[in-house]
Amino acid sequence: MTRLLEVQHAHKTFCTGAGARRRRVVALDDVSLSVGEGEIVALVGESGSGKSTLGRAVVGLERLDAGKAMFDAVEYAHMSERAMRKLRPQMHLVLQDPYQSLHPGMRVATAIAEPLEIAGTGNAKSPKVAAALEEVGLTPAGTFLDRYPHQLSGGQRQRVVLARALVGRPRLVVADEPTSMVDATLRAGIVALIRRLRDRFGIAFLVITHDLDMAAAVAEEVAVMQKGRLVECGPTPKVFAAPSDEYTRTLLKAAAEVGRLDVAD
Amino acid sequence: MSRRRSPGQVLGRVGLVLLALPALAAVFAPLVARHSPQRPSGRPLLKPSLGHPLGTDDLGVDIFSQLVYGSRISLAIGLGAAVLAIVVGVLVAVLAGWRRGWVETVLMRLTDVTLAFPFLPLVLVLAAFFGRGLLVTAIVIGAVSWARPARVLWAQVLKLREYPHVQAARAMGATGSRCIVRHILTRLIPVTSAQFVRVANAAIISEAALAFLGLGDPNHASWGMMLANASSNNALLTGAWKWWMVPPGLALTVVVLGFAFTGYASEEWADPRLASPTGRLRFLGRRRRRPAPAPQTAAGAPATGPILSVKDLVVHYDRHGPAVVKGVGFDAPRERVTALVGESGSGKSTIVLALLGLLPGDPLVKGGATFEGRKLLSAAAAARVRGRKIGFVTQAAMNALNPAYTIHFQVAEAAALTMPIGEARRRAGELLENVGLPAEDHGAYPHELSGGMRQRVVIAMALANRPDLLIADEPTTGLDLVTQASILKLLGDLKDQLGLTVLLITHDVQMVLRVADELVILQDGCVVEQGSVATVAADPQQEYTRRLLNTRLSPLAVKV
Repeated sequence: MTRLLEVQHAHKTFCTGAGARRRRVVALDDVSLSVGEGEIVALVGESGSGKSTLGRAVVGLERLDAGKAMFDAVEYAHMSERAMRKLRPQMHLVLQDPYQSLHPGMRVATAIAEPLEIAGTGNAKSPKVAAALEEVGLTPAGTFLDRYPHQLSGGQRQRVVLARALVGRPRLVVADEPTSMVDATLRAGIVALIRRLRDRFGIAFLVITHDLDMAAAVAEEVAVMQKGRLVECGPTPKVFAAPSDEYTRTLLKAAAEVGRLDVAD
Repeated sequence: MSRRRSPGQVLGRVGLVLLALPALAAVFAPLVARHSPQRPSGRPLLKPSLGHPLGTDDLGVDIFSQLVYGSRISLAIGLGAAVLAIVVGVLVAVLAGWRRGWVETVLMRLTDVTLAFPFLPLVLVLAAFFGRGLLVTAIVIGAVSWARPARVLWAQVLKLREYPHVQAARAMGATGSRCIVRHILTRLIPVTSAQFVRVANAAIISEAALAFLGLGDPNHASWGMMLANASSNNALLTGAWKWWMVPPGLALTVVVLGFAFTGYASEEWADPRLASPTGRLRFLGRRRRRPAPAPQTAAGAPATGPILSVKDLVVHYDRHGPAVVKGVGFDAPRERVTALVGESGSGKSTIVLALLGLLPGDPLVKGGATFEGRKLLSAAAAARVRGRKIGFVTQAAMNALNPAYTIHFQVAEAAALTMPIGEARRRAGELLENVGLPAEDHGAYPHELSGGMRQRVVIAMALANRPDLLIADEPTTGLDLVTQASILKLLGDLKDQLGLTVLLITHDVQMVLRVADELVILQDGCVVEQGSVATVAADPQQEYTRRLLNTRLSPLAVKV
């Protein structure tokens, strides 16, 4: 059975520094991961664990040194940029920083319409744009369409970014730390929204986060990365209740220390 | 709604008015000037009269007409050269910055070579070689001036291409040309307009210099040519300089100043964030006045009295604007961790900036604040304790370390404020050890360290002069959970080891529950609830506090 997204034995190495300080950083070391149609998978780990690199590789912003990436059984990790363009509308990337993810000179409607314009299926005036705003809870949509990003709060901006993610009806959204830059009180709303978009449109999500409670709340499956390797992967309740890896336990302990998770006796 | 203009915008308006004079003269030259600027209209070397307001030159040509028509030449050369230089500069910058690889190497080395030539001699040689026409002059100046805009814009392109919205567009499948047109060029406009003004300015001065040196177009009397003519006719000796040299000189000054002032403001004008009035409206709306501030009571002060005490603090960002902090009072008890908690826009960072005298612009701060019993709110008082008795970890400070120096050097530099440099170096090593950075990392540069390690460096810098109070604004934002836990633990340990008082600013009350002793909950610039962590967290009185406390996303519990 093939799943929507399958990454197999992915390898990626970066070179940093120059001269004597030059060194190689292994970002992905034999990572295999899959996301089923309409499934939410959380990818957790510390910064520098390679989880963002994996997310960027999934949407084709980063090329794997070795390994396979298959979308709907089509291998695309080594496709040409031109061939890849056909696949792109089916995937979408949501980035961490809602302040930088939107062009400051583009109105909300124009920003949301971008996937439609690229695919040639609509523009800023399409009813789809207003509908997408309503979907993410920015109502009435008419009052938001003509605003600039700086006229919105951080939480509203992240909703606009999610509206842009769903407007082209992709089958997979990679969300890189979607809640790390919004107020703690707004995180629950973003989590609920991601689940709702999945339920309504069957969009699969790969949610990259360091927040373990976010992972627990949003995902059916959790994958844990450490230093470029996938150390644990499984259904969320199982990983949280009985982590098999020492590193997963460290992460859970840290989450409890900063009050994100309850401590059971 | 009164909106004060920034000094830059005022200058920009002055610049536009200055530019309007020569622009109007250029457009309406035939109406303003009654004589031809080329053919004689009277006897040579006449003094100013009604018929010839500025007299005539050695051939009997009216000088006033030359002055008026000269504005056409100056503006045409300035704008022509600037258009050429900017078009070439933008093309080079975008091609080099977007394509990278050998294209970048070739184009940027070419830019470096062009930049390395001395400007005026190069223009002189080219002008002498290609002839003396106006168009040739504009092209020569433009062809020499593109390199600096190219270099400046190239740096912008390199930065912009990594911006999340550009990355997101690429991930959506946007072609390179779409990314460039929609995402890069639109964001280059502010810098480009400033560069345009700069090149236009330089071009006008260069043309005057060329004409003065005899390389101008003899068929068109430009201002530089007028100066050259006057000079060769000994205007300085005969007294004719008053009407023959001063007016073109003044005209050049007006145009150059006009362009320079406009250049200051053009960056602001081209940025929608600064141009749109509704941005300000939201700013007002978010800080609407709340019906009744909740009663405030000082938390049980220890016997020695609080180290920092704030009473009825009111802050306006500017004198005519609304209050952002509306009568806040709280104490920071000695050797405790006090957390100032609120959502973004609640005024928590503003309070700290006001206490430390670091608010930007011309703020209005009322109320009282004492540190160790002494008044704090004046800029001078704050400057005395800031960095000495009060250590401050600013928001996202870990990204603001100087990339050119090692962390040890930067901590030593902070310590050198109150001690000799040798001692400061020793202290820096000690401090870095204190915050958990092993000796082998002390020689590292900031980019070689992780976010958590850089945050430790920043905390070490704040501790350099043995402060009694450490203020940390969102010290864990942007760090992952494991690092967040370790930074919070570090703050708690420092409090215990050094007898430090900590004032912690955060939007996430859950996160600080373990480390904080006192909580001050802020909403819309007012304190809604305060007290010890035990009382507030166990039995919150306000709905807002309950909401802040209830940010946990999952009911899952872990065994530790």
